Amino acid sequence: MALLENDDLAPIGVLEGISHRGRPWVDLAAQYGVTNPDPPWKVTLDATCDILAAESCARIDGRVEASEPVLPALERRSEEDELAATVYAGVPFPERQLLALAHSLIRRGLFDEEELARRMERVHERLTSA
Amino acid sequence: MAKVLGEKKGAAHGHEGEHPPAPMVDEVSDFEVLEMAVRELAIEKGLFTAEDHRRWTEYVHSLGPLPAARLVAKAWLDPEFKKLAVNDGVKASLKVGVDWIKSPPTQFGTPSDYCNLRVLEDTPKLKHVVVCTLCSCYPRPILGQSPEWYRTPAYRRRLVRWPRQVLSEFGLQLPPDVEIRVADSNQKTRYMVLPVRPAGTEGWTEEQLAEIVTRDCMIGVAVPKPGVTSNVKMPVHRAVHPLQHGHS
Repeated sequence: MALLENDDLAPIGVLEGISHRGRPWVDLAAQYGVTNPDPPWKVTLDATCDILAAESCARIDGRVEASEPVLPALERRSEEDELAATVYAGVPFPERQLLALAHSLIRRGLFDEEELARRMERVHERLTSA
Repeated sequence: MAKVLGEKKGAAHGHEGEHPPAPMVDEVSDFEVLEMAVRELAIEKGLFTAEDHRRWTEYVHSLGPLPAARLVAKAWLDPEFKKLAVNDGVKASLKVGVDWIKSPPTQFGTPSDYCNLRVLEDTPKLKHVVVCTLCSCYPRPILGQSPEWYRTPAYRRRLVRWPRQVLSEFGLQLPPDVEIRVADSNQKTRYMVLPVRPAGTEGWTEEQLAEIVTRDCMIGVAVPKPGVTSNVKMPVHRAVHPLQHGHS
């Protein structure tokens, strides 16, 4: 069921912080003279959205186990529209698609804000350790 | 520790005659970190596997507008193929290497693209243009990812109300006697436009023709012209009256 209640669409601290301080691809590309119109993570983000919308995500013993989609495409897009017009109104595309996806997953209880913040710290450490 | 093959020595850079390295973004952005963190948590929670995600990434990476451009070029050159394209878009797609059912990792279509493609044939007096008023349904298997403006509520809402005006904003001025038909994509059907072959392309090969069939031509917001091989850059405006979703 789509998140259309006000509480569900309320800002989430960790994501709000990123929306304010995160540097979108359009700025980074301009600064570094990169011509690719999309950030490298756009393809993996789209794959995540696709796979979460798949009716059958799990494969057991080579068989496809029928299951409900984790996040149907129509629900995700309608939530993205709502969030893009409100909480993440100042964020360009595709960054707001990413923020909206994380928002939808957190509001569905698939992981929580603290888990995401901790995981982001770990990922950041890894990516900047070399 | 993994051994790195072909490791560069310091002096290997900057050889005379070598191309300078392509510019790259030399910092880690919060968004890059967020994308990876979301993906890792989803895998950890069992929402999907890393292997499945890799296969979907490869599939998404393979998508683009070239197969659709080839379909149009073939239809211009071969009247029988044009009939097939208009009557059975999914079958015609096979001729340009797109299997709507078996190409995606599911082997039974993708959940968001479905398996019904309709190819809408323009005539000198009839112009088709495609939208998805509900979200951003798009014939991705044959046309790739949708552009940002296609996803915006402003395009989706305004195109169905004022198609002629919206097309003129894309630089497409249509004479008053040309009828415009807006095709609204939905959960069951995807659309692409088969535009009129322009004058000045007589004797061209399929490859030459495909080059001028841009993504925008197949959405219907542009028409092919010899010498024009890129899409228009559209500024994206926020909706003045945001879309109200009536679905759940």
